Amino acid sequence: MQKKIIDELRDMPKFVYVLAMLVAFGGAVGIYRLYAGLGATTNLSKAYPWGIWISFDLSTVALSGGAFTLAALVYVFHMHNLHAAVRPTVLAGLLGYTSVLIILFMDLGRWDRAYHFLIYPNLNSALFEVSWCIALYSSILVYELSPVLLQNTKWKGAIPVLEKYTVPMVIAGVSLSTLHQSSLGTLFIVMSARLHPLWHSMLLPIFFLISSLASGLALIIAGATVSRWVFKRSLPQKLIAKLGWFLPWILGVYLVLKLGELEVTDELHYLFTSGKYSVLFISELVFGMIIPIIMFSRKEVRHSRNASMIGAFFVMAGVVLNRFNASWFAIQPLQGVEAYKPHWMEVAILVGVASGVFLAYTLIGRYFPLFDETIKIDEPKHAPKLIAATE
Amino acid sequence: MSTHTTNGKYGFLIDVTHCIDCRACNVACSVQNEVSMDSTRIWMNGTGVVGKYPDLQSFTAPFHCMHCNDPSCASACTVGALTRDHDGIVRYDEDRCIGCRYCIYACPFQVPNMDLNETMPLIVKCDMCGDRLDEGEQPACAATCPPGAIQFGRREDMLAEANRLINENPGKYIHHIYGEHENGGTSTFYISPVPFEELGFPIPGATSSAYYNRLVTHGTPAVFGAAAVSLSGIYLTIKNVQEETAEEARAAVIRSAQAAESARAAERAAATEEEA
Repeated sequence: MQKKIIDELRDMPKFVYVLAMLVAFGGAVGIYRLYAGLGATTNLSKAYPWGIWISFDLSTVALSGGAFTLAALVYVFHMHNLHAAVRPTVLAGLLGYTSVLIILFMDLGRWDRAYHFLIYPNLNSALFEVSWCIALYSSILVYELSPVLLQNTKWKGAIPVLEKYTVPMVIAGVSLSTLHQSSLGTLFIVMSARLHPLWHSMLLPIFFLISSLASGLALIIAGATVSRWVFKRSLPQKLIAKLGWFLPWILGVYLVLKLGELEVTDELHYLFTSGKYSVLFISELVFGMIIPIIMFSRKEVRHSRNASMIGAFFVMAGVVLNRFNASWFAIQPLQGVEAYKPHWMEVAILVGVASGVFLAYTLIGRYFPLFDETIKIDEPKHAPKLIAATE
Repeated sequence: MSTHTTNGKYGFLIDVTHCIDCRACNVACSVQNEVSMDSTRIWMNGTGVVGKYPDLQSFTAPFHCMHCNDPSCASACTVGALTRDHDGIVRYDEDRCIGCRYCIYACPFQVPNMDLNETMPLIVKCDMCGDRLDEGEQPACAATCPPGAIQFGRREDMLAEANRLINENPGKYIHHIYGEHENGGTSTFYISPVPFEELGFPIPGATSSAYYNRLVTHGTPAVFGAAAVSLSGIYLTIKNVQEETAEEARAAVIRSAQAAESARAAERAAATEEEA
């Protein structure tokens, strides 16, 4: 037994050890943060009460949007040929949300009262709504992932029972995602005094929802290529091309709405007159929307593994930049206060949690039937089982 | 869901021309509420020294929670720890607070404070010295102010007094009562000889950001319902269409099989006839 474990550990790729070390270090700093308080471990202040942690949370939730987008396409829109991507994407979503919950916990001044959002509702608060949705949706993701975890255990008899209720659970999950993806945008509506007008808008919830669809799809596309490197498993390029086909439409609507809103509210002039804010905003437009729209409009890009991946990284970078702008870069400074820069401990905790996500993904991919329906890249003869027993 | 809110019972009137920057209000507040001196519940804003020697000028004013008619902080607070009570006082329940700091970003007056150096930090903000009001006393800052720059009383009296001072002293004050309309109206009024942005005051719009926030958050149940219903509808519609198509395909297969069968039967019949 002991020898088996040692052999198993020897067999692990080297980066697993690096990740484990980063997780251990981040965990130690995290415990110190809870013990020592926010003042000693972060650069948060009255002028900048939120920092890189909130930006990370927003970005991760947007990227994890892949799980609900794909679930909607496969189960609600009956696109069963996309089913092979469900398991890897749901796991990515679940780990993403878990990391958000951990970081949110770190961020609470009174972490000892984290459960208060369950018992003291404020129905006007977007953050209250987001907390509930994330908690409920994480549970639904556990449910959606449970067949993977149970398949090779003695409880596998429960899987048919669980799968009977997949569709209602998916519909509940997609509805909850619609709510919290948009409510994360609502969060900033009340902050009109601090957020730069290029980003502040009554349409923020819609912007956040649409961009989460785009970044979610992009994550599935990029993830398929990365998992080819790490696990030697991937999705057929035909499926990736199909997902990529949606992107120009979604990003097009996003781009038109963003510029249209500025035009309607008479804020279009900020586009070129706001210095660093203009640069940040135009970067979002160019790198996050215009370039990927052009790329994914072309058939040869959609059908090329590498080009699709590069395009997907542009989309994700654009959405992540948008979330960092809304919660950090485009928060206007107060007079006489130095701009926020994260403390190294804030970054260490973040790196630790993110490493934990990659570590957990690698290990679950190694020991659980995560890629059952995907194709083995080394053996192209191994045909994908595209339509699984979902009905 | 409207911009209409009731006015508070109490109000402050702070006359910038009377403030001498002695900070007795800050001391009184810190003693009364057991908070540290600077930038907790009350602090000073000012123009700094302006003008050319020998005509130098400096204006200052204490600043604390404005007690909005429609407070943004209360709208934002995740757990409802910030609420506006029936007297119009915006109160903070420190037993509920989870320290998420959303109120700090939500408040257009940058009022809520938190001492992040504490291991278990809480929000610090003015509550109009509610305990003193219950005993029939004025808030500590107003009761202390040596030059009488901070007046406290019924809100409508304070507003009337502010208007009277402006109208009866032409040229002494600018024509703007800060707090009358800011962020949807508040219970704290300032009158000043210089524009308020020069005093370093935040300049929010006339509609509370809490109103815009509610416009969206109150739509939440509708969005959830619409999403759930339309997704279920889409699921069932596509399922039915697919089943119908499959059914038709099956029926077509059966029909053609039957046709082939009857054709073969006819052939066989013809063959037996021929044999016969």
